[in-house]
Amino acid sequence: MCKFGKFLLKFLGIALVLNIGLFCAFFFDLDGKLLFNVVEPFLKDHYDNMERKDTLKTPYDIHKFPKYDYDS
Amino acid sequence: MDIKKALKDFWYGKPHTAEEGGRRLGDLHEDKTHLYKHREWRGFKDTMYYFYMIWLYNYIFMVKDVMVMGGLVNFAKGVWRYRWVGQTYLPVLHWFDRGLEGMRGEAMKASAWHYRAMVSTTIRQFQRMFAADTRLHGGKQNDLYKHTIAHNETVWGGVFYPWDGEIQNVPLEMIPYFVTCHVNSHTVLNYIDAVQSIGLPGDPCPMCQAESGIFVLDDVPDYAPAVVTCNEACDASVSTSTLQDWFFDKPLFSLPMPMIFDDPLVKKYCMREIEELWKFVEQQYGIPFSWEKLVKKLEQQNELQRFEWEKWEVAGKSDYYPINGVAQALYRIYQTQYGDWEIWHVTDKKVRKILEKCVSKKINSFPQTRHRVIAWSCAPLYYSNWCTWAYNCWGLNVIINMDSLMFDMTIRTDSYEHTLEDMAQYHMWAPMRRMAVGGMRHMFELWEYMEKFNCDMVAMYDQLQCKGVQGLHGLFEDEFRDRNIHAFWVPHALPDSRTVSRAEIRRLINDYMTTVMHEEPLDPSLLDFDDSMTW
Amino acid sequence: MRDLKHLIYFENLLQEANNDLVKQAKADGKRAIGYTCYFMPEVLLDLPGCFSVRLRAPRCTSPDIATYYMSARVCHYARSLMERALEGGFNFLDAQMATETCTATCRFQEHLEQKHIDSVKDMRIIDNDDFFCSFSDVPFKNNQIAYEHFAEQLRVHVLDELNKHFGIDVSDEAIRQAVEQHNEVCRLINEIGDYRKLDNPTITGYEFHVIQLVSLVCPKYLILPYLRETAEELKTREPDLKKEFRCKVVLAGSENDDPDFTKLVESCGARVVCDRYCYGAVESRQPIELKEGEDPVFTIAKHYLVTSNCPRFMPQDEMRARKQRIAELAKEYHADGVIIASNKFCEYWSYERVIDTVILKRDFGLPVCSIEKEYINSASGQLRTRFQAFVESVEIKQIQEGK
Repeated sequence: MCKFGKFLLKFLGIALVLNIGLFCAFFFDLDGKLLFNVVEPFLKDHYDNMERKDTLKTPYDIHKFPKYDYDS
Repeated sequence: MDIKKALKDFWYGKPHTAEEGGRRLGDLHEDKTHLYKHREWRGFKDTMYYFYMIWLYNYIFMVKDVMVMGGLVNFAKGVWRYRWVGQTYLPVLHWFDRGLEGMRGEAMKASAWHYRAMVSTTIRQFQRMFAADTRLHGGKQNDLYKHTIAHNETVWGGVFYPWDGEIQNVPLEMIPYFVTCHVNSHTVLNYIDAVQSIGLPGDPCPMCQAESGIFVLDDVPDYAPAVVTCNEACDASVSTSTLQDWFFDKPLFSLPMPMIFDDPLVKKYCMREIEELWKFVEQQYGIPFSWEKLVKKLEQQNELQRFEWEKWEVAGKSDYYPINGVAQALYRIYQTQYGDWEIWHVTDKKVRKILEKCVSKKINSFPQTRHRVIAWSCAPLYYSNWCTWAYNCWGLNVIINMDSLMFDMTIRTDSYEHTLEDMAQYHMWAPMRRMAVGGMRHMFELWEYMEKFNCDMVAMYDQLQCKGVQGLHGLFEDEFRDRNIHAFWVPHALPDSRTVSRAEIRRLINDYMTTVMHEEPLDPSLLDFDDSMTW
Repeated sequence: MRDLKHLIYFENLLQEANNDLVKQAKADGKRAIGYTCYFMPEVLLDLPGCFSVRLRAPRCTSPDIATYYMSARVCHYARSLMERALEGGFNFLDAQMATETCTATCRFQEHLEQKHIDSVKDMRIIDNDDFFCSFSDVPFKNNQIAYEHFAEQLRVHVLDELNKHFGIDVSDEAIRQAVEQHNEVCRLINEIGDYRKLDNPTITGYEFHVIQLVSLVCPKYLILPYLRETAEELKTREPDLKKEFRCKVVLAGSENDDPDFTKLVESCGARVVCDRYCYGAVESRQPIELKEGEDPVFTIAKHYLVTSNCPRFMPQDEMRARKQRIAELAKEYHADGVIIASNKFCEYWSYERVIDTVILKRDFGLPVCSIEKEYINSASGQLRTRFQAFVESVEIKQIQEGK
């Protein structure tokens, strides 16, 4: 078999395996299971423990901004 | 084993109804999490289409969109910093699954294209936020920051058309809050709890609570030097701006929109306020208003509207409309609220082809329709796909919904005066839920639209914390009775899935269908299931 | 302190919307014009030939039928008005001058509209063939555009309607006459209210609340003699030798037409010296200055937008300035603290209360008691505990500061 033939077979083989693999992931909802059971809990844990600014300490300067009035 | 039937099911997918052997969609899911044991087999062709053209295609294009619109680094930083993106946008394909469950053929394809457009627009917006965000760039105000304007999600994006290509408008809450609720209903609860933790009572509109809560939790990117806000759609929106102003602490322009918009005098006022807004933008950004750009974008937007009217024509007068209730509703509100963008045109082109095919070949994409339903008032964000369930379970086909009908106009571009007049009208109608709070007569336009869309049943959304709609509750009850209209109420609290659960919504519809309509479910496996932990 | 001569009479006037003075004015051939919100200029409803009645629903604790129509999740005030209307309590009204200034009262007033649309039945809630309801749009901003717009709204939806339906004289001269009467009410109420600024006030918050309310719900020309007499009486009223209160407070917040609420606060040891709430005098009793040559309708429109401190206003500078205004009132009235009270389901004040509670304390050093209340407060036990605790905390603060 010529080199190109081998390459083509190999390519088709890989493509087939990849397709089957992806189809299995799709059909058995492996993406959903991974996201629900692993990724989301991990990220949730990260967000829950993030240090956050105490927004109630944000200044409230009464006179900081002018009146945006252009028709007077 | 009946080989012939197995082969038929393999090729065409199992039939819908219990009498025909039934596909029993409810059995596909795990308890509580509602994850699939396995995804649905829709027949060979449709499953392959779903796998390649929806599942794989969208995963690939999500990555591509992220790379093209701001890059992977910004995305990764954003995911690490902001809960609403990390926790929400990864399970986006499951949002597709929920909305498209049970769909076949053209309905599946057309509805999926709508979803694809929404995903792309969403990525575009959050990537712009991250690319411009000073928090992700060491406090630096980069060029993108200086050319981005933030605005309340109820400010129609069209008012920024005059700066198309120079200033990018990105709504403050549309992505961090509004879209997230549809994709992953868990995220928003953090924000609602956050704002209540600083003393806000639990009774104001939960949408506004969430919009404030993202600020309280310091989860809003700092991506623009100025903000435009608006009083639409209700009292709580006005007040939300007050809280946001405190925490955002940036120059803020208020664009007030008269609520009782029937009065021709209010239009004049509204026009002048839109002009004020334009002056504010010019002043803040130093970039002049461009009439040419405004006209160009408005004409493009009008194109979208004209196609929408064609779609309505088909939906109202035939059974060949191929878009399901949730895709129709979300796409329409997203497109019209955000304003013109290329992806809408690309999508409409694809959908037009499908629509034309359905009409010319007389394809009924919802063959099990028992009732043509109009959904009225504002929908539950955490269960916008209830209509997909309702069709699968009961044959209730939601043809049209109130949110889609709010923006029922094109905008004239023949003169400055006409354009401004129509823009004012559009703004007063559209983002304020024209029928919900714009004067009670508009709520009761329901009867006209029922006739126009040939509907025989009403799904009446009952947003428990919307004072505008609650304030007319009894009159609706009276009218439904007097007019002998079949109507069921769908109580909910917009984004907050804790107030009325999805299961409770289904139970109420089930009760109505059995006790009032005396009907049997098409798919009994969908009657009762536990999805309490689902996204 | 010696009892005020007319206090019991005033209290009786507040028991019904259709009170003795309203009946008398109707018997005099005058038209009764209802309204709910400060943004509807009462002065224009007090033109010769008609009189304003700011709607209340006293003693309405159980608005059952209104709850069917408006659900239990809408402000109790709006539902109570609806209930009272359904009971026939507002049948004396000849017109309702409505505003869409908050969703709940808007919906209530929309129910009053008669024969206005085919798509919904005519409830004919107000059983009066002459009755009509007219809506005016009230701007959310305080600028020239808003003044012009509001003036036009008032001309078209108030004055023209009154003239068309009842032949009311809406000339500039008639308006000036109404303003003059209005300003006299303001002068008297302010004179009476100023006694609250004294170190030991010679009027209680409750008494003032009652007086202010009668000035809103009774025909001006009939209530004026009583107000004059009360103002005169107060000139010589001696305070109690021993102060009957432990601290002085500004009462701010949403709709409050319940003097018993003020009484409840005062029974806990706080003297209410300033009423910065809807139906209070801070906004509504500022005299209108009409200058020669000026369009009176424009001036009135501007006056009502400029004087309002409603959290409905949206401009950034306004949003922020109103916090300072409460602090300034506390200073002007020598108050030791502020009670911020929002009605349940009032969205404007729910948010405003959150911010006020933090900012007034943090940036202005004012003790703040933040509460949510009902229109009619049947659950007074809980509130009493809150107010008592607040009064104690203010006292402790004063002790710590060596006052």
